[in-house]
Amino acid sequence: MSEPSAVRTPSVLPPLRAPALTEVFRALLEADFTVQLRNNRALLLSFALPLVVLFALFASKFYSALGDRQFKVASALTLGMASIAILGYAMTVARDREKGVFQRLRVTPAPTWTIMSSRLLVQVAAIMAMAVLVLVAADLFEGVSLIAEAYLLTFICVIFSSALFLGVGQALAGLIKSADTLNAVGRIAYLPLFALGLFAHSTIFGTTFELISRWSPGGTVETLLTGAMNPSSWNSDTWLALAASAAYSVVFAGIGIRWFQWGAR
Amino acid sequence: MTSEAPPVTGLALQVKDLRVSYGSKRAVDGVSLDINEGEIFGLLGPNGAGKTSTLSAIEGLLKPTSGSILVRQVDVRANPGLAKALIGVQLQSTSFQSELKNSEIVKLYAGLYGVPLTKPAIFDRLTEIHLGDEASRRFSQLSGGQQKRLSLLIATVHDPPLVLLDEPTSGLDPQARRQLWDRIEGIRKSGRSILLTTHSMEEAQSVCDRVAIMDHGKILTVDTPAGLIEKHKNDPNVLAVARGQVTLEDVFIGLTGRDLRE
Repeated sequence: MSEPSAVRTPSVLPPLRAPALTEVFRALLEADFTVQLRNNRALLLSFALPLVVLFALFASKFYSALGDRQFKVASALTLGMASIAILGYAMTVARDREKGVFQRLRVTPAPTWTIMSSRLLVQVAAIMAMAVLVLVAADLFEGVSLIAEAYLLTFICVIFSSALFLGVGQALAGLIKSADTLNAVGRIAYLPLFALGLFAHSTIFGTTFELISRWSPGGTVETLLTGAMNPSSWNSDTWLALAASAAYSVVFAGIGIRWFQWGAR
Repeated sequence: MTSEAPPVTGLALQVKDLRVSYGSKRAVDGVSLDINEGEIFGLLGPNGAGKTSTLSAIEGLLKPTSGSILVRQVDVRANPGLAKALIGVQLQSTSFQSELKNSEIVKLYAGLYGVPLTKPAIFDRLTEIHLGDEASRRFSQLSGGQQKRLSLLIATVHDPPLVLLDEPTSGLDPQARRQLWDRIEGIRKSGRSILLTTHSMEEAQSVCDRVAIMDHGKILTVDTPAGLIEKHKNDPNVLAVARGQVTLEDVFIGLTGRDLRE
């Protein structure tokens, strides 16, 4: 077999210009969405796990003491967000960093913030899709039907809360260089982040534990989402949960940005 | 800040007094080099000499401590977006998102340079490097030689005037290496300039118009491969390591020493 022509004769003039941001974003988003849709683990964590937890919370009487019906839906949503951000997003970032994917992207004209923004946007889209699925399932199978304003408010709060968990994912990816270590730490961190919040509206382990649980990252999000699903019950606790979620987001994102490194070395 | 490149001046790359440090360790120490339009320039040096750090600074992966880098008169630090658009890069070890097919990788990188490619155009480009049948496969499913070919295609997908190749033929068998040399020569024939790093004296002699030997972050000497041999053939350090007629490898070892590098 003869060697193919060494390099093609240029059919277009060299692009002696920096590409437009829209061109860069279009290319990145298309690739990142494709990666997300082909990642079976991410799909499982994004959609199957929250549904399993939703049905489990409603199926067992043991969980009736945890909170009302909206709280259980909020818990499933919180689990979905934590899964997507910590076990999905952070792991993918660590893996790609280790393989040198980011370094290859960084030598292109794409500004570095677009590389990460594109990935975060895809994660937010995945979280929104998960929220739709969970809310539809909650309505169809568990009879948790919301008024239109409540759905709107819930989606807004889901987007708002996704910043917290994506911030946690970014912080983990920033602090832990190795993908294997991050996988292990992520699994450990993910359980308390979600599981601790499950007791945010329950005193079965005492009021101190309830207080800790309520103001844990998962607990604040669950309180916020429970309030969003029932706007008439939105009160000062919900506002405080909103403020706490914002504070957590800023802290975790700050850690993630401060210590993030594009290369594995 | 302009987004258009200035007119061609004859120099594809100008590096002046470049310094790069990792903490207290200076990896690149006052490197200056010019690469002409249509020239293949080789950077030779033992491990840790500063070759990859020099390339990384030009690519924008590392922030130099001092010095200037101009790609076709565009300052890499002042206008990184435009400078990067003028450069094609093949890193020492390349990896892409494992979920993407080869055709999708080409599309992604073309898009990042603002070059929209249709599916047939992508297939044509893959076919030109004998990877048309691999369009729907993953990068990890390709052989080492195929991966290097695809990496080089991606590095040149936007027809850049300057191509940076970091050890482009490392790990390849002789056939694949020769094929890649032909491709590199083809890039030059299409009017592009190339800066490559290599450990292979054979590669430097076969492919490069000029070669710089680097060690401890400094450029020790620059000339054509034949010119380097001529210039250093009577150097006592070179004669001490020569086995018969002085070769480029003798010059290299004579200038950089016999000690093993990590």
